[in-house]
Amino acid sequence: MSNTKTIEIGGTPSEKLKTDLLTINMGPQHPATHGVLRIEIKTDSEIVSEAIPHLGYLHRCMEKHCEKVDYRGVIPFTDRLDYLASMSMEWGYSMAVEKMLNIEVPKRAEYIRCIIAELQRIASHLIAFGTYAIDLGAFSPFLYAFEMREKVLRFFEELSGARLLYNYIWIGGVWNDIDDKQLKRIGKFCDEMEEEVKKYNELVSFNKIFVERTANVGVLSIEDAYQYGASGPVLRGSGVKWDLRANRPYSLYSELDFDVHVGEGERGVVGDCWNRYFVRMKEVVESVKIIRQLLDGIEDGPVMGKVPKVIKPPKGEIYIRTECPRGELGYHLISDGKKTPYRLKVKSPCFTHTSMLPLLGEGQLIADFVATIGSIDIVLGEVDR
Amino acid sequence: MHSELANFINSKVSGAGAVFEEREVGDHVIFVDPAHIFDVSKTLRDEKDFKVLQVITGTDYLDDKTIEVSYILATFDPQNSEDDLILKVKLDRENPELDSVVDVWKSADYQERECYDMLGVNFRNHPNLIRILCCYDWEGFPLRKDYEAAKEYKGMTIYPESKNNSADQEFKKLSKADPGIERPRW
Repeated sequence: MSNTKTIEIGGTPSEKLKTDLLTINMGPQHPATHGVLRIEIKTDSEIVSEAIPHLGYLHRCMEKHCEKVDYRGVIPFTDRLDYLASMSMEWGYSMAVEKMLNIEVPKRAEYIRCIIAELQRIASHLIAFGTYAIDLGAFSPFLYAFEMREKVLRFFEELSGARLLYNYIWIGGVWNDIDDKQLKRIGKFCDEMEEEVKKYNELVSFNKIFVERTANVGVLSIEDAYQYGASGPVLRGSGVKWDLRANRPYSLYSELDFDVHVGEGERGVVGDCWNRYFVRMKEVVESVKIIRQLLDGIEDGPVMGKVPKVIKPPKGEIYIRTECPRGELGYHLISDGKKTPYRLKVKSPCFTHTSMLPLLGEGQLIADFVATIGSIDIVLGEVDR
Repeated sequence: MHSELANFINSKVSGAGAVFEEREVGDHVIFVDPAHIFDVSKTLRDEKDFKVLQVITGTDYLDDKTIEVSYILATFDPQNSEDDLILKVKLDRENPELDSVVDVWKSADYQERECYDMLGVNFRNHPNLIRILCCYDWEGFPLRKDYEAAKEYKGMTIYPESKNNSADQEFKKLSKADPGIERPRW
């Protein structure tokens, strides 16, 4: 008995009781890290005192591969960056090469690209929604989300022949034309999607348990968002009204009428997990609105512009950024006038967002840290490239 | 706008040596002296509102024996329509060294680590300059033009012969047995 008395559990640690931080590894195989991300967490009981991300488990050095293939051959590599939003990845790269070569893309191809990119945004946000609910312990929203996403994937499969890695948007246009039946189906899908989002909001967004888990958790201030280079829904969740589609319109976005949604703090404070999540749900509705306008305006014509047989952009460099579902994706393309790119650098939004994890994680409960990672919505294919 | 920016940098930071380079296609760039990159970055952030650092990336020019490091900055200002800036510095290829800008933009932390990992650019005063995408004990810098992929890693063979495209090997065996067989065309 005399020995046990020196250890006072729950009280102030006595001199004989040594306290230390416990290091645990979250990942690389962990369902909450959304892929192969390893986070070394130093815990003080249940509290994260330090979080260190270790990247590179999916590193394929895609940038080096791109230096070895011709300009058309790069597109399948870009598919494999953010494999949940391949169409958006292809679009940015194609735009960069088209700008260098001064190729005019036919109007119909632009319409198809916009429709496809917005559908892709919906599909990608549905994954973010479904997996986020799983992270927080709710399984059924995932099934609802995948049911709707399946419809988009089916449609993409008819269009391009692949379910995930499409190679559909080519330099100068798109590979294949859409027929009217498919356009009608997209219209029908839009109606369904709007109803579904209402259901999701009832089921998850304003659910008491969900709000308790996410509101006021992982707050990112505007200053930190700028300092860490946040973009996309993460930046908008912090209350910054910045969207490349509206502020630097490319393609057809200048002709379209849509709103940019920011976190407004209906629940919790602006910049927390709930607001980041809810911006995505609002964006799904906005994408539906955009697709409807595009379906009304689509015109007949060719889907491929005049592209030289051998693509050889002149000497120079270009930086193109586009608004992808996860943030701003940039392609820095340097050409030396030969058949292959001299250097292609991909600015990945998820990579910059991963660098915020040590900041957001510090001082959180481990369960809240899981909620924070989910709300940032990273795809490791894009982080590691 | 960017030509004025070069003059602005020169007037604010003495010895910055900012040169505006106009390109026929694509984006224009501004070259600055590598020794003053920290001051130039700080001036641009504080006085020209370049509050976001998008990316730091390097390019290896084997013929010129230089490595060019590009800093791509943005204002994120809806009123400003021309806000992308590519800021470049030229470094010696043998011993590329540069001041870190982590104190100006925190996003530089990971970007500089990646630049070090891929091209071997040493950033002075970086808090934790270790590899980020390759494993921590990797040798060589993959995105240099003269990089040769390692054949072995810790005694393990990378891409062993037996695992190379088995379908092609099957075809070779078949064509040896019957030279008339044609390669399937897709």
